[in-house]
Amino acid sequence: MANLMPKRRLENIGLGITGFCVALVALVVVTLIFMVAQQGLTTFFVDGLNPIDFFFGQNWIPEQERYGALPMIVGSFAVTLLSTLFALPVALGSAIFVVEVAPTFGRRVFQPFIELLVGIPSVVYGVLGLYVINSLIKAIFGDAAPTGAGILSGSIVLAIMILPTITTLSMDALRAVPNQYREGSYALGCTRWQTTWHVVLKSATPSLMTAVILGMTRAFGETLAVQMVIGGVERSMPTGLLDPASTLTAALTAGLSNAVSGSVYYHALWSLGLILLAMSLVFILIIHLIGRKGAKANG
Amino acid sequence: MASEKNAAAQGRSAELDAHVRRIDSQDKVATGILTVIVGLVMLLVVAIIAYILVRGAGRALTPGFLTNPYNDEVVPGIIYQLWDSFYMLIVTLVISVPISLGAAIFLVEYAPDNWVTSAAKTAIETLSSLPSIVVGMFGSLFFVVTLGWGISILAGACALTMFNIPILVRTIQQALEDVPRSQRDAALAMGLTRWETTINVLLPAAMPAIVTGIVLSAGRVFGEAAALIFTAGSAPARLNFASVNFLSPTNPFNIFRPACSLAVYIWRLTSEPTAGSTEIVWGTATVLLVCVLLFNLLARLLGKLLSRRLTAE
Amino acid sequence: MSKFDLSRRQFLGAFGATAAIAGLAACGNTGSGTTDDSAEGTDTAALVGSISCSGATSFQPLVEKARDAFQDANPDVSVAISGGGSGQGLSQVAEGSVQIGRSDVFAEEKLEADQLEGLVDNQVCIVGMGPIVNADVDVTDITTEQLKGIFLGEITDWADLGGTAGAIQVIQREAGSGTRATFEAAVLGGEVAPDSFRPVAEVDSSGTVVEQVAATSGSISYVAFNYMENDGIKALTVDGVEPTQANVESGDFTIWAYEHMYTREDEDESTAAVTKAFIEFMLSDDFADTVVEEGFIPMADMQVKKDADGNITAA
Repeated sequence: MANLMPKRRLENIGLGITGFCVALVALVVVTLIFMVAQQGLTTFFVDGLNPIDFFFGQNWIPEQERYGALPMIVGSFAVTLLSTLFALPVALGSAIFVVEVAPTFGRRVFQPFIELLVGIPSVVYGVLGLYVINSLIKAIFGDAAPTGAGILSGSIVLAIMILPTITTLSMDALRAVPNQYREGSYALGCTRWQTTWHVVLKSATPSLMTAVILGMTRAFGETLAVQMVIGGVERSMPTGLLDPASTLTAALTAGLSNAVSGSVYYHALWSLGLILLAMSLVFILIIHLIGRKGAKANG
Repeated sequence: MASEKNAAAQGRSAELDAHVRRIDSQDKVATGILTVIVGLVMLLVVAIIAYILVRGAGRALTPGFLTNPYNDEVVPGIIYQLWDSFYMLIVTLVISVPISLGAAIFLVEYAPDNWVTSAAKTAIETLSSLPSIVVGMFGSLFFVVTLGWGISILAGACALTMFNIPILVRTIQQALEDVPRSQRDAALAMGLTRWETTINVLLPAAMPAIVTGIVLSAGRVFGEAAALIFTAGSAPARLNFASVNFLSPTNPFNIFRPACSLAVYIWRLTSEPTAGSTEIVWGTATVLLVCVLLFNLLARLLGKLLSRRLTAE
Repeated sequence: MSKFDLSRRQFLGAFGATAAIAGLAACGNTGSGTTDDSAEGTDTAALVGSISCSGATSFQPLVEKARDAFQDANPDVSVAISGGGSGQGLSQVAEGSVQIGRSDVFAEEKLEADQLEGLVDNQVCIVGMGPIVNADVDVTDITTEQLKGIFLGEITDWADLGGTAGAIQVIQREAGSGTRATFEAAVLGGEVAPDSFRPVAEVDSSGTVVEQVAATSGSISYVAFNYMENDGIKALTVDGVEPTQANVESGDFTIWAYEHMYTREDEDESTAAVTKAFIEFMLSDDFADTVVEEGFIPMADMQVKKDADGNITAA
């Protein structure tokens, strides 16, 4: 009996310590959201910027006190969608090959290989983009891309960066498809490709969509690699894929060091951060919705 | 009559043959295309890594590059950045490993099935999807200004911790959940509390996976730059390895001094190039890449080694 | 917020106390107090303390050189130098989190009136800047009017300047850059480029400007004098005046700005002496050679001065 009390206390201590850790993490996240929201909303509520002018304004010219975030919003979405477009077929194709065609090769050789790409730091991708991809673009398009920097270069760099994310998650998604499905399809006389196309991909669709969204999340939030290759032109709307532009993250990196804390410019930058924060919450929401739908479909 | 039937059957079988041929060739073409894609991806990986290593090897292997300060007049080196990278990594791990361990244990062992738990899970998920520049700008206000730490290693390490926690919590959670149910049940049946079970049974059993996870996450943290620019600074610090004054900004161990990691140094040199800086960029990129690859390798080796030792016991 | 303030104060208090003890101990060892104002050479009373200096990156290498020499002469002093840009430097010195905030524009252009209170402007040297073009451009002189036309997007072809026909590719510095502010104040005279005008790149630093101009045919941009000696680019004369130190000093060349090191009037006594000595060192005759070597212009020989509104008058 005497032994029981310390045990209960021990259990409480354990609960206390671990609970504290979780609470600390949650608290930091809440503080972050609160601070970004507070600073980011100051632009509208204290400095008096019109939100419509901010979100739909086509000119970001801080020295004229004009803060239209549309060029960066468009830039961010453009590089995200384009890079996903570039990366998706390749990622999906590789995932199908290593799961459906050559599973042993996939596990032993391909997986460690593609994980090497995940490990490469984003500044290193930026260096590659700056010195290799930009020069290539410049060489290919000549005067149409005088410096090589632009949305296209940014998208290519991002496509390489999100390729491993989408590939490995797609591989997991395909592996999770029960083997009975495949066997059933083969028993009906379907070829491997028919099985893959009509059965495996279809039943893995929700997880594949999650993989794509996670890739897009990474592309949308990627900072330095994009900033180093995109050209950094924020003052007006980009007019083409070879046009130098900027993204929300790039504008933040370039702007934060020049803005004085407390100024309208500084708050406007936080508003850009708030958009980034909101977008990552939206991405999480989409993933949850897909997950719920998938669960419903399977249940 | 019979010939007519035969002809119809022949027609059908010809049709079937054609169909089979078509789907067969479709299958072959698809497999061919997939093979090409995989080949190209592997080629891309090799090309990227080889290109960086080849471009930077000359500089990285130049005697002095790894041991000289950045302002050396003959061979500008990266010793301070190397030190700062590793030191900041260690401070980050010292902060983030215990917190992640605690949080993961809570989520696996204690978490009541209520809104608190799901809120905590959502918080960690949010953290994992936050762009690192947002973490950086939050850090530049909260750690640097509100908490008054200034642009410092501590502020940088805390920003990196925010970046590292979701990765760590997920791997530790996974490792704990992968411990066979029977071990947990046996421990609980012997009258151990959940806490004792966790400490004495689950953690040792999950240790190889946890260590692997920590080393892998270290590789990620090591290459992170965006979260550091506005928290730990981007100017190369001047260090004095003989300094014994722990409050001096030149003391390598002072966690309240600004620091510049390898990754941040690369970013700074590309955004503010000087004569000859391109070569230093490639050299530094090579060193950074090799470090990250070594972390990967180390993670695999450690995982194998630990699990062998544990199973041998 | 008050909770944060409290913890911050407590923290600073504890930290300050430790620093003070360390400082006292050091004083005890050397047996002397703070410096007298005429500190020069090495054998006067030893300076003790550590200060930090953040802000503009444009003259950071120069300040780092000064720091190295200053610390060599005063072994018990440490000056922590970090970047961050003019905005960071100014806001940090205004809120007292650093002792010196570097800026390449007047604080009036960045800070609110209430933040300016108590700030002391120390102009430590001058940076001259001028237009540079890709080496293949066959124009050698440009008028201020033409320069203005180019950066307002009105002149778009080199043929209009008497060169071989070809598109003018404008490479700009990023919004908020001190170099850009100086250049635009001296050249554009308050006019602003139309919204439709898009440069081919907006880059973060003078080093990048040089790289990009060298790599982009038909391009034009502007940099400080010390960046003009590079392969692949050439400097233009403006209205026939060469971008040289002498021409800036005489007032003939008008695109230049002060490099400022802002300090606080009410700086804490524990560091004020070090801060003061460091700035005096930056302005000293001994250091003037280094200033010139790094491509800046010492204050001493200037025959003209500029105010915060950009008006030039005889010194």
